[in-house]
Amino acid sequence: MSRLGFQEKMLWARFAGVMVVVGFYLRYLAHSAPGNHYFHAIIIVLLFLFASVRTLARWRSRNVVEDERDRAVAAIGTRWSNNILWAGLVVILVLYWDHGSVRSAGYLIAILFHLLLVAALARIIRELVAYRMSA
Amino acid sequence: MTQQELADLIFVTRQTVNAIEGDKYSPSLEVAFRIAHVFGVPLEQVFQYQAQRNRGK
Repeated sequence: MSRLGFQEKMLWARFAGVMVVVGFYLRYLAHSAPGNHYFHAIIIVLLFLFASVRTLARWRSRNVVEDERDRAVAAIGTRWSNNILWAGLVVILVLYWDHGSVRSAGYLIAILFHLLLVAALARIIRELVAYRMSA
Repeated sequence: MTQQELADLIFVTRQTVNAIEGDKYSPSLEVAFRIAHVFGVPLEQVFQYQAQRNRGK
């Protein structure tokens, strides 16, 4: 097994970041009282921190080689992510078609939030698998 | 020559060289030509097409 490359390390870091958000979200679902919206504020803070760390890492890694294998793996991950997003959008449209309306804007945003989360996780996991399969 | 030295010469990561050596990644034609150029040999001396193994892919 080869040592991890920079891109793969970044993927593990992203995976850890997303899992922190998911863990926090599950804890919120399990413990928070109805009407308690501190979760949204903390999610925004977490996303801001996540984006900042990623931007800093990208800036510091400007000399790191990204080769054709990295691009091929990224393309596989993007394809999976896009497929999930399209499937989710179709499901939302079917729900809309079936019921004539979506329950509320909040409900729609919640579906989209989960869809984006699943797509992001699928992309990261598929890329990690692709790296391991060609390592 | 180490994997890292070869990787630097053909502008890929060491992990990619490792994957090519382990027969787990097929490089592009450009990278294949670069490898052959580094070793100063024809392309077919570095890479061979194995029809039986690739059949059905």
